[in-house]
Amino acid sequence: MEGLTLRLGFAPGSLAIWAALISGLASMGVYVYALRLAPKTPLVPSFDAQRNTAYDRAIGFARRLYYAFAFFIVLASCLLMRLLLSHDFRVSYVTSYSGLDLPFRYLFSTFWAGQEGSFLLWVLMGSLIGLVVLRTAKEQEPPVMTVYLASFLGIVGILAKQSPFRYLAQVPADGQGLNPLLQDPWMVIHPPVMFAGFASLSVPFAFAMAALWAKRWDGWVVRAMPWALFSFLTLGTAILMGGYWAYKTLGWGGYWAWDPVENTSLVPWLATAALVHGMFLQKARAKHRKINIILALLAFCCILYGTFLTRSGVLADFSVHSFVDLGITGWLVGIIVFFLVGGLGLLAYRWKEIPKEPTLDEKTGAEIQEPFLSRSVLFILSVTLFCASGLVILLGTSAPILTRIFGKASQVATSFYNVTHAPIAILMGLLIALVPFLSWRGETASAVMRKALLAFTAGVLGAGVAFVAGVRGPRDLLLIFSAAFGLAASLETLVLFVKRKAFASAGGYLAHAGVGVMLVGILISGAYERKAQITLLRGQPQQVGSQTFTFTRTVFVSEDGAVKKAEELDTARLSDRRAKQAMEVEVKGATGKVWKAYPKIYVNERTRQMMANPDLRSTPLMDLYLAPQAYDPGSPARTEGSVVTLARGESKSVHGTNVTFLGFSSDPTQMQAADPRIVVFGQVKIGEEEVQSRVTVVLPSDPNAEPQMISPVIPTASGKASVRLRNINPQGGTAELEILGLDPKGDFKAATPENFSVDITTKPLISLVWGGFYVLMGGAFLALLKRSAETRRAVMA
Amino acid sequence: MKKAYWAGAVLILAFFGLGLTTFSKSMTPYVTFEEAKESGRTVQVMGALEKGSSRYDTESKTLFFTLVDEKTKVSLPVAYQGVKPANFEDAISIVAIGRMKGGSFASDKLLVKCPSKYQGEETEKAYGSASAGKS
Repeated sequence: MEGLTLRLGFAPGSLAIWAALISGLASMGVYVYALRLAPKTPLVPSFDAQRNTAYDRAIGFARRLYYAFAFFIVLASCLLMRLLLSHDFRVSYVTSYSGLDLPFRYLFSTFWAGQEGSFLLWVLMGSLIGLVVLRTAKEQEPPVMTVYLASFLGIVGILAKQSPFRYLAQVPADGQGLNPLLQDPWMVIHPPVMFAGFASLSVPFAFAMAALWAKRWDGWVVRAMPWALFSFLTLGTAILMGGYWAYKTLGWGGYWAWDPVENTSLVPWLATAALVHGMFLQKARAKHRKINIILALLAFCCILYGTFLTRSGVLADFSVHSFVDLGITGWLVGIIVFFLVGGLGLLAYRWKEIPKEPTLDEKTGAEIQEPFLSRSVLFILSVTLFCASGLVILLGTSAPILTRIFGKASQVATSFYNVTHAPIAILMGLLIALVPFLSWRGETASAVMRKALLAFTAGVLGAGVAFVAGVRGPRDLLLIFSAAFGLAASLETLVLFVKRKAFASAGGYLAHAGVGVMLVGILISGAYERKAQITLLRGQPQQVGSQTFTFTRTVFVSEDGAVKKAEELDTARLSDRRAKQAMEVEVKGATGKVWKAYPKIYVNERTRQMMANPDLRSTPLMDLYLAPQAYDPGSPARTEGSVVTLARGESKSVHGTNVTFLGFSSDPTQMQAADPRIVVFGQVKIGEEEVQSRVTVVLPSDPNAEPQMISPVIPTASGKASVRLRNINPQGGTAELEILGLDPKGDFKAATPENFSVDITTKPLISLVWGGFYVLMGGAFLALLKRSAETRRAVMA
Repeated sequence: MKKAYWAGAVLILAFFGLGLTTFSKSMTPYVTFEEAKESGRTVQVMGALEKGSSRYDTESKTLFFTLVDEKTKVSLPVAYQGVKPANFEDAISIVAIGRMKGGSFASDKLLVKCPSKYQGEETEKAYGSASAGKS
């Protein structure tokens, strides 16, 4: 009974999840029923409450059940948030991921710090997106909403089984706190955006499955394309934020480590990119019908597979941020198999019915002659390229599972991804370069060459400039050439669009221009970074390249960014209480301009872990990146022997001489003295000589005062060595001994100065990575606007 | 049009070939300390940090420490070149990727398994959970 109460935990929360599960299932059932009532007219109508046929009434009822589903998910989320904000440590989840020391914004983000919370966030995003889907799916609403709901109910089922509202048997006074690395503004917004992207991929999937179900071969693409673009936009934004967070916070100097968790967000993004291009081809040329359905299915299954890889614990030994198994692996595998087998099965069932691409022109009735050099080819190749990239990444990420089948579990080095992606990037640049110059009707090779001459020249020029700037090697120069070629071709086309004031249609070319810029940034900032590992003595300038670095002092940086001395910290302010120790480094450039960097090295009080955060200075051409390695406060000159801790009878070699601790004895008579004291003797054997060391604890008359410990250095009979009994541990029966005179270099230790070791990296043109990405996202956003407007106008069967 | 699909298929096959050859070359298998000491290739090993064995040498920018295999109690000295991971001292286990170089394991990549990752589980162990609470 007690077990059940704990498992149910905070009852309103667990009940809300169960209520969501039940209303979701019910809504699905009514939508299936509505589908059977759909009028058998050629034009299937959208829901219309005024018309009030049985079909409309069924959809109306299904919608109300969906609203109930969404309401209960939102309710459960609000309840979890309330428990976190009110520090209700009865709840296991609250205790595990939050604590009393967090400011509001990080307390807020503890919602998705653990597995159950991030699953709930995923479903929350899905339930909200669904409110828009059911209004915009129009004539496709019943089948689409059925599949859409199904895609989330499995996760709701996991939440019902592994509730975030579970209670603990005992209530602790404070929680475990939030992982300090996640206490960053980027980590507050990155997960919601990422999960919005994950959840939105259910939409194209639902449309694709509904298309198979209701045999709507082209109509689904019109309605689903804005959603595919939305997924591309949100997933891309989330990936960018994650990369920027890693770059700014983690201090290893990059933004992408090919970690399984990163890869499992990248692969669905690539699949979505492939889907967007495939949908474009289908809309323009009625081609690619089967492949688009497969792509929508795969993009969705990639999300599930990624969740399985990172959440089931199969990669626990291979990834930094992989989770341990919560006992949901079976569920996840079941869900993946269900959708993959179900989706592919439905596709196989309908395969013969899907119309082939048209071979006769609709208007003239003549046979369509499409030469090899046409725009369709570029689209097909681009889809292929995205798939190739995704497959290679999937292969690398799954390596530990694949190799386990054949023997030892192995991981691939990150070079695997870099080597395989060089040709992909080069081809991507070339495709982007050619697309403006090829029409659907096709082009002769000489015509393409004539049209592309200007952009081609720009590409060669770009590679030339790169060569002069120091870029070497055929791979790098070829990549720069193709990226510059692609960028120039896209810009040339964009100018034409601007002249024609056709801004709305410029999205694709704008996105392509962004990719060109990004490719250059990725290559140059990665392959041509310069790294210097230096140790700065306090106050002594050191030159690296054209800049001079001086470690001036240690300071504290409060959370609002103010730099303070230790005594200036105001404990009444939360921001000051959360201040971190930083090293002030003055950087003087060639021009004499001085900039102060504050790389941080501090101890997290809760976990007692050493933490380090880099500091960086961005300029358009170059980032200067200071990653702290170690801080040594230094020590004064002193005489200190070798310290050994020994149990009774144990011996250890100290600089080649055996030291044995024989045992304790004490002198009880000393307790009766006028100033009572405890005297403990430790019998020690150094080499062949025995010596009695001792420690005296003088008990003060004032019971509140600290007892005084006296431990003298006692030489052996020969005087070759001496020993000091530094400490005793009566429980463990061990003694801490300092042995002097055995070190051939002598016991005198010279003073060490205060010093700070830091890695200084210059990253050329990394601004192009971010800048190119913004342009890419801007282009995708324009395309999203255009396709949404098209969808609103569309009326179809 | 058929040609385009053929070109696509060739492209996929070419990448698959490149992927597979690179794949086998960049494999870093998990091995025991004994195997790591004998093998000359890049491998990864996992063990617990021997308390008090870590030392950072500012001259060579190298972190020296000893890993101990929890089962066999075999130890392996590691020389790691790079950033000392934030939660290094508290790690419950450490994965080092690298290869043997003159008596010690020269590593350039560490994966640190810190207790915080097991937070949820640890909390339930410490304070009792639904499954543990039956007793």
